[in-house]
Amino acid sequence: MQDAYQTLYTVALVVLSLLTLLCLERAVRGPGISSRIIAINMICTLTLAMICVLALMLGEGYLADVALLYAMIGFLAIVVLCKVYMGVAMEKREKGDIPK
Amino acid sequence: MTDIVRFILTAVFLFGGLAVLAAGVLGQYRFRIALNRLHASSMCDSLGLLALMVGLSISSGDGWIVLKFALTMIFLWIASPTAGHLIARLEATTNPRLDRDMEVIGK
Repeated sequence: MQDAYQTLYTVALVVLSLLTLLCLERAVRGPGISSRIIAINMICTLTLAMICVLALMLGEGYLADVALLYAMIGFLAIVVLCKVYMGVAMEKREKGDIPK
Repeated sequence: MTDIVRFILTAVFLFGGLAVLAAGVLGQYRFRIALNRLHASSMCDSLGLLALMVGLSISSGDGWIVLKFALTMIFLWIASPTAGHLIARLEATTNPRLDRDMEVIGK
């Protein structure tokens, strides 16, 4: 039974890694800054899922704490990125590069 | 017998969550407008991770891990809409041709 669970977790991890790679490609190519931030947000979600699967695959309970901290740090990164690029857009608008 | 049932439930929830996550990544490729992509990514955050963590909780049976997963999900349900709101406001600020793609009210 343990082997079956290990196989299940391995398949889930492989699928999650493929999805992360596809998302990374979208983050490099996607037009516009907000599309890139959305792709980064999604990579964060997929990594969170990977950490949760690893917590049960390795049998280490403390990885669940790591998942909680990772969710918080990912949220902080999104907030900081949005604030920074909002400031950049406001500066450009004051200079008159972007019409209102 | 209960082992088999638990394994099947785990597999169903795990692959359900993976299917939702895959649909979200597919949405990143199919949608053209950033606000549509935001919809696909938010669906991943809430439903995909919830199904995945329910499956993992069923398979673990350890109370503390289930509690930590529940705490993570509660935090995500608060944080993900907030992040989505910030990203949507950034898109509305930076995109100068927003009214070409959709109807903008009260600009």
